[in-house]
Order: sequence, then C-alpha cells, then structure tokens
Amino acid sequence: MSGNTEYYTCAGCSCLCDDIEIDLDGENAKTVKTACRRGSNIFLEYKENRAEPAIEGRKVEFEEAIKKAQELIEKSKSLAIYGMDTIPIEAQKVAIELAEGKEAYIDNSSSYCLGDFVEMVLKKELPTATFDDVKDYAYVIFYWGVDPHNSLPRHMSRYTYYPRGKKRQRGYEEDRYLVVADIRKSHTAMLVAKNARFIQVDDDLKLVDAFIKVIDKQMPEKYADDAVRVIREMQKADFNVIMGGLGLRYGLKGNYEKFKEMINKMNEVAKVYFIPAGCHANMRGFNEVLFEKTGFVNKYSFKDGESSLDYAFFELLKNDKVDTTLIIGSDPVNSLPFEISKKLAKINTIVVDPRKSFTTQIAKVVIPSAISGVEQGGTMIRSDGVRVKVNSLFEREINDVYVLERLKEVVA
Amino acid sequence: MRFTKFLKVEVDVVVARNAFIPDNKSSKEYLENVAIAFMQEEFAKVNGFKENDVIKITSKGRSVNLKVKISDIAHEKGILIPNGIYASYLTSFDGFKRFKAEIELADGEITKPEEIIEKLKG
Repeated sequence: MSGNTEYYTCAGCSCLCDDIEIDLDGENAKTVKTACRRGSNIFLEYKENRAEPAIEGRKVEFEEAIKKAQELIEKSKSLAIYGMDTIPIEAQKVAIELAEGKEAYIDNSSSYCLGDFVEMVLKKELPTATFDDVKDYAYVIFYWGVDPHNSLPRHMSRYTYYPRGKKRQRGYEEDRYLVVADIRKSHTAMLVAKNARFIQVDDDLKLVDAFIKVIDKQMPEKYADDAVRVIREMQKADFNVIMGGLGLRYGLKGNYEKFKEMINKMNEVAKVYFIPAGCHANMRGFNEVLFEKTGFVNKYSFKDGESSLDYAFFELLKNDKVDTTLIIGSDPVNSLPFEISKKLAKINTIVVDPRKSFTTQIAKVVIPSAISGVEQGGTMIRSDGVRVKVNSLFEREINDVYVLERLKEVVA
Repeated sequence: MRFTKFLKVEVDVVVARNAFIPDNKSSKEYLENVAIAFMQEEFAKVNGFKENDVIKITSKGRSVNLKVKISDIAHEKGILIPNGIYASYLTSFDGFKRFKAEIELADGEITKPEEIIEKLKG
C-alpha cells in the first residue's frame, strides 16, 4: 500500500483487512473496493438499521438513556459486562475499568468460542506465528473445523493460501499444500484439488490420536492414510500451520492436553504452528487486554479476583447470578442458546450497540454507539495477535469510549 | 397430499456460518439467508423433501420452520443450518454446533424471528 490513496480498515471479522479503498460522496460510501461482500455492505449500508436510544422499548433522548443505564449499574448488586468483541481495545479498557470499579463479572464470546486456544497461545503452550510469516513461508496450510470461505472471507486470499510469499513464489498449486478437516464438505473443502487433502472427520479426537500414533509409528484406529500423508507433507517444509476454528474447539470436547501433545509431537518431526481462526473482529483484543491486567483471557470476576467457568456469561445467566448486564457490541440473543438468552429478558439488560439487534429488542435500555471502522477508529488485535490500527471513515463524538466513560462515572 | 407429510426423520443438524448473512437483521436478505435448512440432493430425495419446501425442525421440545435449500455443503446424514437466531433457539451447550433433531414437512410459513423474540419475552 503506497501513494496518496487512503486505506480504511474493515472491522467485519478478525481478518481486519486494512487495504479497503472507498469513494465517498459526502458521508456516503459510493463504492468500496477490495473488501469482501460482507465488508462492503458494512460501509455501503452503515446508515441502515441503526439503534436508537430507548428505555423499555420507548424512544428517549440519548442523555436519558445514559442516565437510566447509570442508575441501573449503580443500583446493581451483581453486574456482568459482556461482548466487546467488535469495539477497539481503547473502549475495551474502559469497560474493564468499569468492571473493576464495580467488582463485576466480565466476559466476551471467547468463553464459548476460541478463548481457550487464545489462552494457550498467550501462555506459549502452543507455538504460533503471524499471517505475514504464513504468507511468506507456510507450506501445509491446515484449516481444522473452520470454513474461512464463509466466516473469514479474505483469510485465504490475503493472508494464507493464495498469496505468493518470500519462500512461496510458485503459487498455491505448487508451493502450498491445503488440508481441510471438517464434518462436511464445506465451501473451503470444495477448494481441495491438486496438492491438497480433505479429511471428512466425524471424531476430531480420533484424528488427533491418528497424528500422534503415526508419528510414534503405531497404527491408529481411524484416519491412518490422512495422518500419514499430512505428516509426510509437513516434513517437506520448515513451516506449516494449523488454523483451528469452532469445529475443532467443540470436537476436542475439552481434551486440550491431547491436542497440545499432538502439536508437540508434530514439532518433533516437522515445524508446525497454530493460529486460532475466530470470527469476531476484536475478540482476541479483549482476551489480550484482560490477560495483561489479570492473567486470564475471559470469564473473570473482579470481586473474586479469578477466572472460572462459573463466571462465564452464559453460566451466570443460567444460574441467575446477575441482576444487571451491560452488553456492548454483541447480540447474545442471536448467538446463545435460547434457554440462556431468555434470562436476559428477565433482568436489567443494557445494550450499547450501533445497530438494532435481537438483543436490543428485549433490552431495558438501549444506547446507540458508533460502528468500528466506519465511525470510530482505534486499535484492534487480529486473530494472529498483530495489532492493527483501525482507520475509520469518520470519527463520531459518541463512540464506545465516550459511552463507556459516561457509564463509568458511577464508579469514579 | 404427499406421503412424506406423515414422515418424521431424525437427523444430525450442523450449524455453520454463512457469508451471505448481512449484519442488518431487519432486512429481507437476512431472513432469506438465515431461515434455511441445507440438505444434499440425495438426502432430500431419499426422505421426500424438495427445494423450497418448508420443514419443521424440532429439538428438545422447540421447533422452527425453515425453507429447504439443496446444496452439497450439507453433510450426508442430515441438514446444515446457518449460525443465527434459529440455530440458537434449537440448540444448547450440550450440542452447540451439532445436535440431533427431527424434521418433517410443515404446513405453515417459515418462522419469523419476532416469534422467537416473543417467546423470549414470555
């Protein structure tokens, strides 16, 4: 990227593509170049479906919504702060300060998404790499339980499989080996052709076991051919990478030690790195900011000074442990099981979000904010751990930092 | 009258992201891309479903009606539904991204998100 062209950052997913070109007509995005379909729509349609300040479904002035939210937070005896996956780390830090001041629980979607993998990476229990390294050096590119074609649309074209890199100059047909492990033939799996392998996996733990056994020269119960072939390909290069998604996370059923053993074993015979392939733009940002402060990546109680499954947002709701919740830039009604999310309608739910969502429809208080990458900039952390400066189209005065600073006044 | 109207089939449901689902959850495009059950052509043929049929999916006592779309992205033994309010309505953390359900031809229209929101409020 060079010259006089101004590049913007798409905060639509954890790829955080910072090469977006936009032709503006006043405050409207006229054309968007480089972005994926979803990213383009974020810029082209940012004025649509906007949240409005509301109390119990009644439209109010912004200031009234702030005051009501402050009142609910102040009166709360057990507050949970949740979400923050789509806001810059500058705003995440204010939310963490609010949680600390109020001795509240704090969590994001990573507690049921890829937080466990991020924690293992931050604790150096899994060797990791950046996308720049992957682009330049990676030979085997292994997507396990993730369909980037749908969840991270430019992952393969910008960062991993398709680009030519320093040691990968001959293109993906010759210089990369693609592996896709999934329960079904996803759109990503359909790309498997020359120099590639699709492993239709119905038991991820058996595939983990197969890799371990093959390296130990034993016969695995299943996936023997797949494991032999993939290990053989990994041994051809000095840089290979596994990108793990939600399918892998749930497929492991909590047996992370076995997975770490597999990665260690692979590294006895080849060089293999791991990168979590999560979706939300700044999920990892929250994990890292909380980790720096507390040593934990999520589900943290400032009252107890520790992280526990009991403090995961969904567990707190399930067990009726909170009277008030502050949800920022997230739509748990869309993503959490019904039995959990229905509890949100019974307690004081405050939503800070730039857009209307299913959760705004059941919230006691709605406070509109700014769309990251469009109306607010800042810093986000990509899924490979690289900090990205989010260059936005505009800067709105009312953004997440402003709203959260206002809410924090009650504990100042 | 279709014979399959009286059949209930137990299936594996896989939940996955769909790039066509827009952020605007109030839009027609959102509904068109999220209120879908993908199934392979062979699976549909064997079980008597056709493209654009409305099917009722029931899991743990909760049901939604979604529209059938024939696609190879589904697995052989069941259906794939996109991440979103319908999947969340049916699922639990015991089977967050893969669970068992019964499917059958439905009489009515596809379930509107507002119907689920009303149940949340209730």
